[in-house]
Amino acid sequence: MKILIVDDSSTMRRIIINTLSRIGYSDVVEAEHGKAGLEKLGHGGVEMIITDWNMPEMDGLEFVQTVRGNNPNIPILMVTTNAAKEDIVQALQAGVNNYVVKPFTPETLKEKIESLLG
Amino acid sequence: MDQSEIDALLKAAGGKAPAAKAKKKGTSPVAEPSAPEPGTESGTGAGLGRPPEDGQVISELDAVTAVTERETNKVMDQLDTISRLVGRQQELITHVMKHEGAQNPAIQEAIREIMSSGKEVQDKVYEAMDLMQFQDITRQKLERIVFHLRQIHDYIQDLLGTGSKSGADRASISRTIHMTGTTPDEKKSHADSVIEEFRRSKTKE
Repeated sequence: MKILIVDDSSTMRRIIINTLSRIGYSDVVEAEHGKAGLEKLGHGGVEMIITDWNMPEMDGLEFVQTVRGNNPNIPILMVTTNAAKEDIVQALQAGVNNYVVKPFTPETLKEKIESLLG
Repeated sequence: MDQSEIDALLKAAGGKAPAAKAKKKGTSPVAEPSAPEPGTESGTGAGLGRPPEDGQVISELDAVTAVTERETNKVMDQLDTISRLVGRQQELITHVMKHEGAQNPAIQEAIREIMSSGKEVQDKVYEAMDLMQFQDITRQKLERIVFHLRQIHDYIQDLLGTGSKSGADRASISRTIHMTGTTPDEKKSHADSVIEEFRRSKTKE
């Protein structure tokens, strides 16, 4: 299972990668913003996306909308500091399947990923 | 943090000082800035009677966030090393446990205790790694503050007609940064209940 992680913070990418490896997912690709994420996605093989919202170049919302244009079924988890109800609704409307507010616990991330992978 | 990085930060902070001094002894802050002269501070946009360029604040912020991100990653490296060493120790202990000479119940019990405390160390290392999320959250809060400072800066510039906007495009921060990081507690939603509500409304449609 290859997972694409899109986040402009290298620390946050590392924390997510670390958590994923602890729960059995070690095949990951990284991107530092939406545009780079689209490029990585274009290389193929990605089966799930974990993305931040606030990023330079292309933010997470625009990234999700663009991805959904070509990939209606790929599971997308948004992990962000945006915690207001209207933000969550906006993300869901854009095509996000699930949502995690930072800071998160490994248990929360695990639960969300497992629920997405059904 | 290396001494060179500390020096760079001090230099960046010191860069503002001449402009602040110039403001005190120079023309009134509301006066039109004097014509820029090549090679002078005015020529680079930080002239007499004007606040420091927004770009200067942004680059200082960029320097601070870059340094803290790098330092946080160094801490993560150390934690990774501890984690690997603990893992290696567990492997060795497991090996010793199987050894013929270690079959005494008292020795086996002692080994189990060592294994258990090793796992505790491992858990604490993971916990410490997870706590490093503070770096990203703090960075976003700083960027949000700069976003609002820039808005105030532009408003005052408009009001005084002194030109020179903050140049939002210069910043390497998200266009949606104003929404982030500091969602007031009373506005914070429980994501799961919002998702549930959203799904229910979609099912009805």
